[in-house]
Amino acid sequence: MIDFDAIQVGDAIPVYTSAPITRTQLVRYAGASGDFNPLHHDETFVRMIGMENVIAHGMFIMGIAGEAITSWIDNKYLKKFSVHFLSMTEPVNLNDFENTKRRATITVSGKVIKKYEENGEKRIRCEIIAQDALGSRKLSGFFIAAPP
Amino acid sequence: MADKSKLGMEFPFYSMTVEKNKIAEFVAAISQKDDTDHIKAIYRDENAAKNVGYENIPIPPTFATNFVFWTGGGLLATIQAVGADLNKLLHSEEEYEYYAPICAGDVITRKMKVVEMYDRGNKERKGWHAQVTILETEMINQRGELVLKARTTFMEK
Repeated sequence: MIDFDAIQVGDAIPVYTSAPITRTQLVRYAGASGDFNPLHHDETFVRMIGMENVIAHGMFIMGIAGEAITSWIDNKYLKKFSVHFLSMTEPVNLNDFENTKRRATITVSGKVIKKYEENGEKRIRCEIIAQDALGSRKLSGFFIAAPP
Repeated sequence: MADKSKLGMEFPFYSMTVEKNKIAEFVAAISQKDDTDHIKAIYRDENAAKNVGYENIPIPPTFATNFVFWTGGGLLATIQAVGADLNKLLHSEEEYEYYAPICAGDVITRKMKVVEMYDRGNKERKGWHAQVTILETEMINQRGELVLKARTTFMEK
């Protein structure tokens, strides 16, 4: 596990890449989180508001970003996690997988931008970004952690 | 559009027990696993969690969304209470501050209020105006400790 002294400003967080997000995974996330906004599973609702496809929950993408962070640093050291959602994510179409997988594959990256002390605790601040395989940014934000 | 007279409104308090199976289900969803046998050990095995210093199976960083969506009527009741329109709704920001771990078996009470409501952009230009609503939710555990604070920003275009 990483420790505070070994971390340097500018260090990159290990890059985390999701599997292509499917509609089934959106349904699973809806049930797991309780977010049943029809925007994420009901194509008839989506068409009614002028869109073509259901989209992933922003919080699903943030959940994936959380997985990226906690693959690097234990979640008990996390102090703050904050994101702006930047664009929508359409799931892969199973009948056109090759052409749609890139829009549904999320890569999370980030780096350490500050090391400091607060309330007698050593902390790091890291910026984080999630984007799809076409380069479209899904969210950006930061987290603060207090590793030992 | 959300009703600006709701600024400052406090929602009723709602409590929820953190179930270990719910944690496993949520982790399977965000880690894109088809079942809970293949998630990280600390999220399914109490001993694995205890071995790395937790009192019990911990929640992942974004699990707190459950305390809002699975209580008090969830999303629809929340947006109705502030007068927002589901057809125009966009989640634009989310922020969590963590004060102490939340683990399986904890009973979390959520205390949510409307802390900001304002217009962004230009009302005269179509597509250039949005109304912003910010909800702040304190999560209190069974010992009365503030363990997590969430700040949720949504926009209606």
